[in-house]
Amino acid sequence: MILLDYHNVVIEETLNQPIVNLEPTVLDMTVVDFDGVAYHLSTPESKSVIKFSLIMQCYKELVQWGAQDMLQREYGPYCVPKEDGYDVTLEFDLQKLPEDKSQREELVKKLALIKRNLMAQPFERAFEQQAQFEDEKQPNPTPDLMQIHYRDQEAIYIQAQLDRVTVIFTTLFKEETDRIFGRVFLQEFVDARRRPAIQNAPQVLYSSKEPPLEIRHLPELQNTSENEDIGYVTFVLFPRHFAKGDVREKTISQIQLFRDYLHYHIKCSKAYMHSRMRARVQEFLKVLNRAKPEVPNVEKKTITGKTVIRS
Amino acid sequence: MSFRSIDVDALDEDILLPDELFAFSNGIEIDPETALNNVKSKEVEVRNLLTRGDTSNALIKAIENPPYGLFTIEAKDLNTQIVMEVLNSTKATVEFVKSLATEQQDILMKYIYRGMASPDLYNSAVLLNWHEKLTEVAGVGCIVRVITDRKAV
Amino acid sequence: MSNTLRPYLAAVRSTLTAALCLENFSSQVVERHNKPEVEARSSSEVVMNPLIISRNENEKVMIEPSVNSIRISIRIKQADEIETILCKKFTRFMMLRAENFIILRRKPIDGYSISFLITNSHTEQMYKHKLVDFIIQFMEEVDKEISEMKLSLNARARIVAESYLSQFD
Repeated sequence: MILLDYHNVVIEETLNQPIVNLEPTVLDMTVVDFDGVAYHLSTPESKSVIKFSLIMQCYKELVQWGAQDMLQREYGPYCVPKEDGYDVTLEFDLQKLPEDKSQREELVKKLALIKRNLMAQPFERAFEQQAQFEDEKQPNPTPDLMQIHYRDQEAIYIQAQLDRVTVIFTTLFKEETDRIFGRVFLQEFVDARRRPAIQNAPQVLYSSKEPPLEIRHLPELQNTSENEDIGYVTFVLFPRHFAKGDVREKTISQIQLFRDYLHYHIKCSKAYMHSRMRARVQEFLKVLNRAKPEVPNVEKKTITGKTVIRS
Repeated sequence: MSFRSIDVDALDEDILLPDELFAFSNGIEIDPETALNNVKSKEVEVRNLLTRGDTSNALIKAIENPPYGLFTIEAKDLNTQIVMEVLNSTKATVEFVKSLATEQQDILMKYIYRGMASPDLYNSAVLLNWHEKLTEVAGVGCIVRVITDRKAV
Repeated sequence: MSNTLRPYLAAVRSTLTAALCLENFSSQVVERHNKPEVEARSSSEVVMNPLIISRNENEKVMIEPSVNSIRISIRIKQADEIETILCKKFTRFMMLRAENFIILRRKPIDGYSISFLITNSHTEQMYKHKLVDFIIQFMEEVDKEISEMKLSLNARARIVAESYLSQFD
């Protein structure tokens, strides 16, 4: 399993029973997703009304760029005032869901993608702004530098430019091993373009201490140039990567998960190294045990007939 | 009472000090100055022999009379350098090693280990080659003598 | 450069064979105590000259003999940052399991990656030539293992990058 899924599998499976098959069940679970996002699924009043709440660290920033509109658009009929301690709440009355089973399956799938849809807002906005550059009626618009602090100490910065959209990830490597493994992986990302099979991929740039030009002026990054643990990865997306339609959706989903993908694979490599080392240590022990001479099991009998075994 | 601050080990009569150990191995203490001068004159002779192309005699001369002693560090360093120069320019052959006396083989082995201790200064590959040939002829006993001899080169 | 491997291992083998002549020797300083003299260093006459065998600046083996014990410290070749990290992890992994290894020392000597401590009781329990074989095999295998791990890490990184970026098409 090399690629991570875009949707949340737990939500999809949990809601399959009640929503698709229309079997009311009592629910009270808290599900977590990448990047500190948590969902709360519960049936507070009756078995047939499911309450679905979501809390996200960067929700306020996403609201700035149209998260509310997206929620209305996609999940309109189900929006309700938010639950305490959460950012968004949706409610599903099992008796009022659409009749068609396939529509209900669609709904569940859309729900599982809610995090992805929320995070997609700034990306969509950036793509629109880049399109404006090419629109002759309004030349020279001033695009914003959008900042999403989706994790502690890590953020995504998106900026639209003349013929491209730049996405910058800052990522923190807590351990030295992580840093070095991360560097190997990111170096491969940078070099991957040279391979003929993936010439169309976006350009990746990596720097470990100096923030890239576009974000160097930001105050929060001023004192961090000495910090070795922070890495900056820049993706340069060209218009063909976000052409309207499926391509755009796929690009957005893919690029959101980059940081989680990278750290997931770093952890997998560490686990692999660990299992290799364990196997190697076993081998060494085997060789060392060969150095011990075999002790003969001597069986002797005493005069009275008792058997003595010397081991 | 200040008896707690007395260093009891220093007053112990039975402890063997380095110079006693040295004397025990039949080492004769030389004055550092004299040692250095001896080595310098040896250096000149060895260089002459090398330029003349007489590598076997150069090596024999270089390992003759090593500056054993507890304080003759400069002389030892210089002598090591000379020996290394000769070893670098000579090809290691079993016949040549066989022609050396046991004592000379021991001294040569000491110099090989001394050279390998500073891989940044001297070429270890050459020394490893010499070590192989020397062990073939002199055997493990030579190494044991190097380990136990208190006269360090 | 790799043709120095054979003489290097041969030199280590012969030196180890020479140095592994250990006998039981109680402490001369403390009554009724029997300690490995290479660690305790209580008297200067029972500890002998240390020997260093080096292949180049990055790889060397130091052997410190004494009358009843011998300490072998190995400095493993670490060419770049990845190898340094892999070496550190690997040696730390083994040193945590030093009890199972019997002859392994829990901390390496300064300047070296890993250290072994062999005492007379070990040579009484195990064949001496097999102990030497083990050390030599260890040296070979560790180098091989580290380069294999590095290769697999690079291959994995390439696959990861390819699968991610090919999704953008």
